[in-house]
Amino acid sequence: LQPPEKPLQDEEWNRLRENFRLPELFEEVMLNSMIKCNSHVDVAKSLLTHMAKRNGDVAYNMLVKYLTLCVQQGQVSEIRDVYDIMKVRFKILEIGAYSLLIKGLTNSDQWRMALTILEEAKKTMIPSRTSYESCIKAANRHQEMKLAFELYHEMLAKNVVPTLDVLQSFFDFSTGMKGAELQKELFGILLYLRENQIYPHKTFMRSIKLWFESIPGGNWRGHLTNIKDSGQCPVCNHQLEDSNLSEEEYNNLSERIIRDVIHGTDTFRKTTPQEFEAFQTFVESRLPFDIVIDGLNVSHIKPRKMQCENLFDAINCLAKENVRLLVLGRKHMLINSSNWKREIMKEMQNKADFFFADNISEDDAFLLYATLRSGKHCKFVTRDFLRDHKACLSDSLTRHLFRKWQRGHQIVLKAMFFSVFSQQPAFRYDCVVQTTGDTWHIPYKDVFEEKYSYRVPRKWLCVQQK
Amino acid sequence: MQSANMLLKKIVRNSVLPFAAQHGMKKDLFPLSRTLSLSLCRKQDNSCTPSEKLDLDAWKKVMKSGLQEEVSETVSEPKELSSLAAARETLEMWRLAGRSVPEKMSEEQLKAFMECPSKSAKKKYLRFLYLKELYKKNDKRKMEEKRERKLEAQEQTSKTEEISKSPFVCLWASTMDKAYNWRAAQSMIFGQPLVFDMSFENEMSVREVANTVKQLVLSEGCNRRSVDPFHIHFCNFNDDSLYHKEFLKHYREAWGKLLITVTDQCYTEVFPKDKLIYLTADSPKVMKTFDHDKIYIVGSMVDKSIKTGVSLARAKRLGLETAALPLEKYLLWNTGAKNLTLDQMMRILLTLKDTADWKKALEFVPKRKYCGFVNKPVSELKKTLDLINTLKLGKRQQEVQKEFAKNYSKK
Repeated sequence: LQPPEKPLQDEEWNRLRENFRLPELFEEVMLNSMIKCNSHVDVAKSLLTHMAKRNGDVAYNMLVKYLTLCVQQGQVSEIRDVYDIMKVRFKILEIGAYSLLIKGLTNSDQWRMALTILEEAKKTMIPSRTSYESCIKAANRHQEMKLAFELYHEMLAKNVVPTLDVLQSFFDFSTGMKGAELQKELFGILLYLRENQIYPHKTFMRSIKLWFESIPGGNWRGHLTNIKDSGQCPVCNHQLEDSNLSEEEYNNLSERIIRDVIHGTDTFRKTTPQEFEAFQTFVESRLPFDIVIDGLNVSHIKPRKMQCENLFDAINCLAKENVRLLVLGRKHMLINSSNWKREIMKEMQNKADFFFADNISEDDAFLLYATLRSGKHCKFVTRDFLRDHKACLSDSLTRHLFRKWQRGHQIVLKAMFFSVFSQQPAFRYDCVVQTTGDTWHIPYKDVFEEKYSYRVPRKWLCVQQK
Repeated sequence: MQSANMLLKKIVRNSVLPFAAQHGMKKDLFPLSRTLSLSLCRKQDNSCTPSEKLDLDAWKKVMKSGLQEEVSETVSEPKELSSLAAARETLEMWRLAGRSVPEKMSEEQLKAFMECPSKSAKKKYLRFLYLKELYKKNDKRKMEEKRERKLEAQEQTSKTEEISKSPFVCLWASTMDKAYNWRAAQSMIFGQPLVFDMSFENEMSVREVANTVKQLVLSEGCNRRSVDPFHIHFCNFNDDSLYHKEFLKHYREAWGKLLITVTDQCYTEVFPKDKLIYLTADSPKVMKTFDHDKIYIVGSMVDKSIKTGVSLARAKRLGLETAALPLEKYLLWNTGAKNLTLDQMMRILLTLKDTADWKKALEFVPKRKYCGFVNKPVSELKKTLDLINTLKLGKRQQEVQKEFAKNYSKK
């Protein structure tokens, strides 16, 4: 349905309506296509006039659609008119209309009105994050930083997650401004990124850099760099935080793994109490290990080879002088079969400790437990991302801890040609926003949307105070 | 005039006078203003029509003309709404905005709505209620249409009066019921037990429990109508459970007269352990034949949130034997989870008991979940499956192969 070019008279609308397949939906479909084609407001107005004359009323959803059109074209006076009509017509509005009004008004000089609308919206529901976003941006644009930060903190308190755009706007509009309070707030945002393991994208990183360099009398200098595998920043020679967890975090994490991942709602779902106990005594008697291997996972690396050969190669590749290995497997590996030859299994058992779980138990949970029990130096080998185990953890804080620990302790084996394994080593340094007071190191993503959440950025922004 | 009216409204709202005084004031002031404003608008409307030029803001006048009447109403109500009323108000606005919101909501539903933890949960709940309402309405409409047709038909038959003679009094339904009950009673003495494990209430949401009970009612129905029914046991059944409440909703007074055994005991207390087999899709063992001497256990659980291994954990804890239906052996599995609904399980088990024919029994697996029965060597089937998928579904070849490899790796 093509909306007309010019405002139409009643008769003309009537004619169009009669020619339409479903006359009762005519107005709705027409307004929708007007929004899609971005028709002139006058055309929509003439349709509303036609409706008002026909029915003596314009339905709420039609008003909202008209409002959408006005917002799309930034017709502020129209938005205000519609709001006036709605306000007296209806006791409260719904969240969609509130969002539209806020979005429409924040882009004009009447942005303060949007704040009162936001207050009104709060009475019935938590406003959407886009509503907060437009209000904060408007406040930033008008240099009302205090107000903007109030809204930002309110948003966080209500568990509404801010977009990177909002955070960026804080930096963009604070460039060149002075004030210890403001600086503290912006550092707060950087720490928010740290706590939630969020990485800014390239343009956001530029805003941060510019802001740092523009602080009057701050003498901050920013450089883009790649951090070495050792964790040293090539620009300022500063050693980044290592990926080890603190004592408390470590204990917390291992407790939670046992509680949430291994036991969960029912210990019998992943193992049995007897088996877990047996495993515990087994691990305790042989602690500590240096590398824990997920036997079954590793044995599938090269599909053309026998599974026990794959495992054998991997063990040979990892077993260097005095490295204590633990291989986790299942009992079916012990039965002589085409994939698991008894002689090779015997040979492997000389090189590493083995624990065989029941065939219906989950060995991954044991892998996590054994690694955590062995201590901070211990690494584990699997190609699994362990996402299902991470999902078992109940709160996001522990999940972040798990991610961090996983990054620092997981070794991934990859099969290459000529029967060699390439190892992707665990990270030595922690990949989060970090500061020492006079330096900031901020990892950033090259592109806006990173496809894989488990991949951490390799590029960093180093900011230091001279 | 309008601005004057708004001013009045503001004065009334902001006044510190007690409510009664407000009320009195309103009565004095507003009727006057309303009539005035209305007449004003009417005049404007009249002035519009003669001129040929289009007045684009005419709709605003119409909208505003109506609202003076409502101004007086809004003022008369107390300003602070209770949270329930406020929720009702919001829902009404959503409905006006064209969202899927039911027209009528009971107090209980409104409370459930407000207790939803997130926005999306609220949306989902509303949509569920909306659809429910829609189905109910449609059913009602259809019933009425049917009644009308029946009446018409009756009128026609009454014209051509004709009584057919038959040796039996027409009492089909109750006679059938008696026959079924007789069989069910016999099964309670001589029949093979079938256990439903009712210990999963904590694992399920309220809606899942409701769905479970619906499925159990269906299963009980088809068991009763079968030639040789099972003796159904509901084990681990507590009288103060949600299950019980839902059953009462479905059966009402018939709940007490059902020819099944309901007990709060565990199946291990009722039957010898070595005869029990727990049926669960997670079991590593695959059922080969239906054993008439064994007692099969089915977990009464609807699992929408994918909790794998819950029923297997029960069996492991009690050290029972487990088994899964040989779905992969007989069916070329396509999509969907391998756990079946309780009534499908019941039909499959009944058919197995009567005929021992897997093909016949597995007809009750929903057709969308499989492509066909396995009757050729696996490699050939793989080809046809690939062909079907690439032609029909447009699935990527690799994905299909992976799926296939997963399902048939052991053979």
